[in-house]
Amino acid sequence: MEKRNNMPLWCSCIIMGTGQLMYKQWIKGLLYLAVFVLFIYFLITTGITDIIGFFTLGTVEGDAWLGIEGDDSIMMMLKGILAFIIIALFALIHYSNIKDVQSISKKLSEGKEIPSFFKAVSIFTDKKFYVVALALPVVGVLIFNVLPIIFMTLIAFTNYGGDIVPPKLVDWIGFDNFKKIFVLSDLKATFVRILGWNIVWAFVSTFINYFGGLLLALLLNKECVKGKTFWRAFPILAYAVPGFITLLGFKFMFSYGGPINYYITRTGANAIGFLDIDAGWKARIIGILVNAWISVPTSMLLATGMLSNMNAELYEAASIDGATKWVQFIKLTLPFVVFSTTPTLITSFVGNFNNFGVFYFLRGGLYLDGYFLASDTDLLINWLYNLSIDNNYYGIGAAISLVIFIITSVFSLGTYVNSSAFKKEDTYR
Amino acid sequence: MGRQFVKIGSAVLATAMLVTGCSSTSGGSTEGSTETASANPTGEKITLRILENDTAKSQGYLDELLNAFNKAYADQGIEAVDANMEEYSDLAENGPYGYGPDVLYQANDQIMTYAEDKHIMALNLEDYECYDKVPQEAFDAFKITVDGTDYYCGIPVNVQEPMLFYRADMMPENWETEWDQDGNGVADFFESWNALYAYSKYLRENDESANKDSQYGLMAPLNDLYMMAEFTFSYGGYVFGLDEEGNYDSSDIGFNKGDSATGLLAMKEFASLMSEECIDDSVKTSRYSKVADGTFFCSISTPDTYTLFHEKLVAVYEEEGLSADEAEQKATENLMMVELPSKMPANGDITADPATLSDSDYVDTQVMGGVNGYAISAYTKHKEACVAFINFATSYDMISMRADILGIAPTRSDVASEIGGVTDTIFNSLEAGNIYLMPSIKAVDQIWDPMQTLFADVAKDAFRAKNGEAEKYTDVDSMQKALDNSVQSIYDAIYTLAQ
Repeated sequence: MEKRNNMPLWCSCIIMGTGQLMYKQWIKGLLYLAVFVLFIYFLITTGITDIIGFFTLGTVEGDAWLGIEGDDSIMMMLKGILAFIIIALFALIHYSNIKDVQSISKKLSEGKEIPSFFKAVSIFTDKKFYVVALALPVVGVLIFNVLPIIFMTLIAFTNYGGDIVPPKLVDWIGFDNFKKIFVLSDLKATFVRILGWNIVWAFVSTFINYFGGLLLALLLNKECVKGKTFWRAFPILAYAVPGFITLLGFKFMFSYGGPINYYITRTGANAIGFLDIDAGWKARIIGILVNAWISVPTSMLLATGMLSNMNAELYEAASIDGATKWVQFIKLTLPFVVFSTTPTLITSFVGNFNNFGVFYFLRGGLYLDGYFLASDTDLLINWLYNLSIDNNYYGIGAAISLVIFIITSVFSLGTYVNSSAFKKEDTYR
Repeated sequence: MGRQFVKIGSAVLATAMLVTGCSSTSGGSTEGSTETASANPTGEKITLRILENDTAKSQGYLDELLNAFNKAYADQGIEAVDANMEEYSDLAENGPYGYGPDVLYQANDQIMTYAEDKHIMALNLEDYECYDKVPQEAFDAFKITVDGTDYYCGIPVNVQEPMLFYRADMMPENWETEWDQDGNGVADFFESWNALYAYSKYLRENDESANKDSQYGLMAPLNDLYMMAEFTFSYGGYVFGLDEEGNYDSSDIGFNKGDSATGLLAMKEFASLMSEECIDDSVKTSRYSKVADGTFFCSISTPDTYTLFHEKLVAVYEEEGLSADEAEQKATENLMMVELPSKMPANGDITADPATLSDSDYVDTQVMGGVNGYAISAYTKHKEACVAFINFATSYDMISMRADILGIAPTRSDVASEIGGVTDTIFNSLEAGNIYLMPSIKAVDQIWDPMQTLFADVAKDAFRAKNGEAEKYTDVDSMQKALDNSVQSIYDAIYTLAQ
């Protein structure tokens, strides 16, 4: 066996592509070298500055009156994140460069032929087509999903918000925002109260929406129902109207000047403050019902699709065995539908947990005593809005959104991993 | 004295410009004088983005303004266009990246929010032709003090204050004998809140409809702080106090100061003569049509909504069989806009018979108001052209046209006195200090939600007993406690998380 020459490997470790060039892999070597040169150019022109800026978040405060442009902390943070992503991509390419040199060296030592650049590309695209196909989407996800998530996460560790908005300079403050949520008595009490209601809301509204849709689908699936298409059109109409228009419509209907109170007062009864600041559970229940109005059609459509795939022979066999309609529903229909829709159920739960629109449009702008810039119908996402948008506390808002993210992701993953849909994937195949 | 300060401030500003090397082409500072400089020194084609309010757009005033300006400045290569942005677009977020407007027309509190972070320019007031014709109080709404020096960041255009809208042909036939005790030719219910309460009560008691819901006196959106702030300000309440240097101190929140609790109890008493629509936003949407059809004798709104009342009244007359022209003329004759009654009961007893009260039993009504005006973005590249535009837009002719089309109350004294009537009255109220101008600091953003929540709850309290619920605000102490809580909420919003 020929002894391996480690010099190209060491050279490639220091300067990307040189190892390939030493093995006369000209195109590949030049491409790696070009990437290396571009990376060095990036570091010199902006990369190092961006990374330093990421840690300092600016040193010069802008003053438009004095013509001082100043540093934009938020842009510096974004550029810093981008620089780290570019460095990570470079590290990945560098690693592939080293592996490539190792591979060439190995083949040479084994006396194998080294494929030409174009042949290597052809082999790569053939054997690892998934890498080629997914590379562009991954880059897209990195830029449009991962970058904003990292950005939002990092904001939670800054003092961004309140008076500290550009042109003022933002600073890193570690876990201070999280401490405020869990230590400041006003915030802690509000957080605990809203979280409690948020969990109740998410469970109840998901349950009502899901089973409301299922029952509606079962009803409209009955053979005795005439004009099914006609009846199915109504929930779809409710679904087709944009959500915020429906919500504003309901707000008007439940207001003192709206039609519901109009007819109530016409009967001689007193008007009802459905949406007053102290409406309490009255307002919460209205929120749940309004949400059902908007969401039940989605569940109904989903369940209708599921039910059309049900095996009719199962019901026939169950009938012969003497199973009642209720038993058939519990033992056949429900397991099948729940099995198929568990991931949707989880999505629905998370969607309801973070349902911003319902209480924003019905009861936005109300602050109740005992709550810190919130009312008793606000969900965490509404409180987050009050704090971060209405009151400019972006850092605290980002910290709360991280807490929401942890809660919903733990629930979603926990439920999904323990569901039949995950454990018994092949049940209905 | 005030103008002297302005001149000194302007001089200091000009000196600061020279010291810091700011020129017309640098990134910031104030704009230079336009008396000698061209509005377009480079000669290149300039497009100015103008952010106006929605009413000016919908009523066609903005088109008139832009067309007139573009015609006048065509030879200088300057064109002004609608910025096509939402009325409350955020200059702080868009401006630094070049997407904001060059000139913006907004309320003083909004403009001054930008001024605190220097997103808009400090102006040399003497560059503006209207300078000598606008009262100092209006300019003060755009004043900011930086390092001990006063700067002015906006050119006032019009004053906003809550106004009473009513139909002249709905006045009681016997008002001159029964409702004008002092015989001054003005009905008492437009002069004192007690008389307005008494007349509203009279109308409610004489409502003969089956559901007793066809005739109300005053019906107002009681949950709206801007419209109803007179029930705290007239009794010693205020938004923010002043520090030793005369600047607003946002830690001194004053809604619970003086006898504000007494004032809010008076508002609650008045609410009992309204329907529950006064608790939420219902009145805000229905007031135009219900004043027009006579269900509400009067309602409260801002002058810039005059056209909305007018349109509804024209529609009512047309339904009654008048032609479009006749309806238009009759609506113009009958739709009245007057200031809120100027006298409030000093002891808060709004139910007291006005005949038993003397002048000493009243306090002056002080309403919340604002001054709308033009400002220049600190990020504009065409400062001279912006100055030229504002000079054009605040000229006698354009302000007259604005007042004519939009029904605003201009701050220009010459236009105000020319129009006369209510416009002149508003102008005088501003000068007399009966309009509490919204403080021009960023913290004012935080007052609305807590106070409006409380105002709605106080209005609701007027109906709780009738609905079999326990009343919350039965005396001054309980009202004071609620005010203290709301003030604490405002303080929390401003300070708690900022620490």
